Amino acid sequence: MSRPGPLNTARVLFATRLAEMAEYRAEVVIWMLSGTLSLVMMLVWMAQAQGAPGGQIRGYDAAGFATYFLSTWLVSQLLVVWVAWELDFEIRQGTLSAKLLRPLDPMWTHYASHVAERLVRIVPMLVLVTIFALLSGARFTTQWWAYPAALGLAALGFTARFLYEYAIGLLAFWTESSTSFQELAWLVYAALGGMFAPLNFYPAWVQSVAVWTPFPYMLGLPAQLLAGKAGPKDALRGALIMLGWLVVFWFLRLAVWRAGLKKYGAVGA
Amino acid sequence: MTRYLRLLRIFTGATLSAQLEYRANFVGALLASLGAVGVALLGLGIVFGQPGMSSVGGWSFREALLVTGFFMLTEGVINVFIEPNMSKIADAIRTGSMDFTLLKPIDAQFGVSTRYLNVLRVPDLLIGLGLITSAASGLSVTLLGVLGAALLYASAVVIVYCIWLALSTTAFWFVKTQNVAELFNSVFGAARFPVSAFPLPVRAFLTFVVPVAFITTVPAQAMTGQLAWGVALASPVVAAALFVATRLFWLRAVGSYTSASS
Repeated sequence: MSRPGPLNTARVLFATRLAEMAEYRAEVVIWMLSGTLSLVMMLVWMAQAQGAPGGQIRGYDAAGFATYFLSTWLVSQLLVVWVAWELDFEIRQGTLSAKLLRPLDPMWTHYASHVAERLVRIVPMLVLVTIFALLSGARFTTQWWAYPAALGLAALGFTARFLYEYAIGLLAFWTESSTSFQELAWLVYAALGGMFAPLNFYPAWVQSVAVWTPFPYMLGLPAQLLAGKAGPKDALRGALIMLGWLVVFWFLRLAVWRAGLKKYGAVGA
Repeated sequence: MTRYLRLLRIFTGATLSAQLEYRANFVGALLASLGAVGVALLGLGIVFGQPGMSSVGGWSFREALLVTGFFMLTEGVINVFIEPNMSKIADAIRTGSMDFTLLKPIDAQFGVSTRYLNVLRVPDLLIGLGLITSAASGLSVTLLGVLGAALLYASAVVIVYCIWLALSTTAFWFVKTQNVAELFNSVFGAARFPVSAFPLPVRAFLTFVVPVAFITTVPAQAMTGQLAWGVALASPVVAAALFVATRLFWLRAVGSYTSASS
């Protein structure tokens, strides 16, 4: 029997993962509702803007904050990655061993799961964002190009996040606490990505550090595109920077994976 | 009663010696604690970092920090005392090991609620107390205020425990309830800020539908002496009502338990 081509492998992988994720649709909705940080911050900022002189803080009125934070929430839904938890489990329990026998890097199975989950997520996500927008008075941009641009940036951002989270998850080869590192990484991502406030609300030195990280381009920038506060030039620049980070994270993941496999002596072996 | 106290001591000893076997996990837990306090402080810091921003919902920075302190303290109470027990209820029902708990000659609710502790998250408690102390040191706090806050915080802990127990008890009917923690946290995240920092409809939701306001805002108000008597009385009443309701709910759930294999 000849080996199936890569396209065929990808198709089968994706179809089986999609079937699996469709089984978890109730959980997917609960997972969506659990990421409420940007919504909490949205409500606080909206109330603050209403009480501020002129009804504005740094050019954002209540509706402006609603638009920004709902956009952040929407993009962060597309960037959700849980692979570090799965790797932690697989490495500690030794279930990774069976997956190593396949002629395919286990990473691709996880990647297909995450992408398939996005498809399950998208319908309830759009329903929720419409309801939230109606309640909060958010107004998204009318420029059509901003939507594919934001989606493209989110796709790049998701892949970058997947790769670095994968590398963090692989730390389970050496430590029991890899998921704690993951939580700290999330904090940096949330802070520099702009989940607490738009990035220009931060002290200047934080902003100058942030531009050297991928986080503002994967979360804040697509959100600003949806809010109509960033132009096509910003989008293009962000995409190029994200491509650079993708290369970095690709090799980082690969290096950690190879080093980890040498260390791995499956449980019970 | 003394029997229950003795049991508490035995449970604590057993769970402590089990956890001290894995001391390296402490590093990870410490990172998680730092992450949690980081989120709470960053949110507050950025709001107050804006020029001309001297209050959030009528609360000064120190007063709001008091709320954050109570938030972290509650995270600690949940992580150390509540979550380790509640997260095992669904599993015990799924595997049928709930049988053993129900057969013991002690109250089953007491058994499932007190068996485990997660000492690794004690830093959460310390961070919370530290934040409360440092915030209060710059405010004019009376002894009466501290006593009131302690009493109201005790009600708050009862409220938190009841919500968790009620959510976890649903596992007797719906076996999969591992996401209970997620659901609770999604609403509880709002407790990082005083309720008055939110728009009016949300404030009503956080007071009357999910009583988050009683958990962090009300004890902080008691401490600064800004609490209305009506609210001060409402908190223990809500706690007592919830306790009775969850007790009845628990008894009903146990009554319908049919074990895993039958």
